[in-house]
Amino acid sequence: MAANWFSSPAPVARRVRAYFAPVNRVTQTPALFDPAEQGGFNLDAPPSPWISLGWIQGFTRKPSSKTSLVLTGIPAAPLEQVRETLQAQVSLQFLSWTKLTMALATGSQHMNLLAPAGGAAAAADGAQASAAVTPQSGSTATSIVLAASDAAKFTAGSIVALDVDYTGQTGYVGAPISGAYVRQALTDVDYIRRVTFNVGLVSQVSSTALTLAGPLPGGAPAAGVKLQAVTGFVDREGGSFYQEWSALFVMQGSQGERIFFHYPRLQTMTGAEETTLSLDGKHQGGQTRVLLKGQFLALPVTDPLDGEHVVCYRSFLPAPNALV
Amino acid sequence: MQNAKDSFYMALRTRLATINPERTTLLRGAVRPGILVEEAEAPFSQLPNDVFVLRWLGLAVDMDLGSTMAAEECEIVYQTCGTQSFGGLDRGRSLSEMDEEFVAMLRPFYTPKLNYAVTPPAAMLTHVFWDEPGFGPIVVQRDRLSRTARVMVYSYQEQGE
Repeated sequence: MAANWFSSPAPVARRVRAYFAPVNRVTQTPALFDPAEQGGFNLDAPPSPWISLGWIQGFTRKPSSKTSLVLTGIPAAPLEQVRETLQAQVSLQFLSWTKLTMALATGSQHMNLLAPAGGAAAAADGAQASAAVTPQSGSTATSIVLAASDAAKFTAGSIVALDVDYTGQTGYVGAPISGAYVRQALTDVDYIRRVTFNVGLVSQVSSTALTLAGPLPGGAPAAGVKLQAVTGFVDREGGSFYQEWSALFVMQGSQGERIFFHYPRLQTMTGAEETTLSLDGKHQGGQTRVLLKGQFLALPVTDPLDGEHVVCYRSFLPAPNALV
Repeated sequence: MQNAKDSFYMALRTRLATINPERTTLLRGAVRPGILVEEAEAPFSQLPNDVFVLRWLGLAVDMDLGSTMAAEECEIVYQTCGTQSFGGLDRGRSLSEMDEEFVAMLRPFYTPKLNYAVTPPAAMLTHVFWDEPGFGPIVVQRDRLSRTARVMVYSYQEQGE
């Protein structure tokens, strides 16, 4: 009779896939991942709100919680252990440069370089921007309806940022992802569009609409949202804002098993740093890939199951028919 | 990957026509810049002199990126016997000229990727790029001097390729 199970050795995996989801900074609510319900997801189409950042390399987990002993008796002998501090770090290298990977790999806020107004004075993080335009009704997450005169200002291949005008508010700004924390009122009406994560690539332009290559993170434009062209991105060494995201790392084993590392709260803990990787190992002086280095501090959440403070959930979904 | 190979060859061919318009070859009844792809011509019993011959060798892919990256190794072979007017005594100088032309052809180290399977060629979204060449030693066969250089050519696979 053929066996219907096998003894599975340690998983064999190639690289690690990374998914990030925004933490609601105002309510301090991280993104959930339920491995029981969602563990079988298509790695190319993660469940909402997780955003795929593709493969990463150099994924390293470093638990740095400290425990100490409670001693009793003469001579003293350990009675039990107690956890003194709860801390962990994660480091990795992103294999792509995107708005999100750049933001995650910088220790501060990450900004969009808005297309400058004609003759605007130069500024290190982008000159005064050209005037924003207003999406019309009927816009969706992938199609922005505009007045014909506004649509004519954009071309296929443009990057656009959509968010509301800055009107003097303080606190976290940017929707649906907080892009910065404003401590005191500013004067730049475009400030929120400078820090917003609600950006997209224009794939087509018609006389009345922009078609985006992918859906906007914020979905269909809400009332009050305006749109500006983006020429690139900029971040700074310094500042007081820390990116905070929920993270999910997945190792897919050769037999179909999966290992998940779910960090509900990861904060960037170092400044922007890059590393290079030679494309041809035999030609070290040749073309090199420039990788973004990310280093994160895992912050605790309270598990509603039993009230314990934890920084990471490690889950394992065994291979089909593997002995457990 | 064929688009990357075609684009690399056409970039070098276009640049050669500017660098040295006099380096030409007569192939299939047409005078062309003196550079060809070996696998796209009838088999040679003897490689032509004073012409750059491209030969595609190794291939590697990195599939873990946002777009698959292909690394294709191109060997470029060129040889010369010098000129008749100098009785071949200038063959060393002729090979040096070809060395210099080849180095000049590689700059800049990238070119737009085009699809040459359609007419006119269609511009694609990415660039083909490459490394500095690795040169082999001069090989002497009686009055013929030849050299082989290798270049790693990189490209990203686009949708539909």
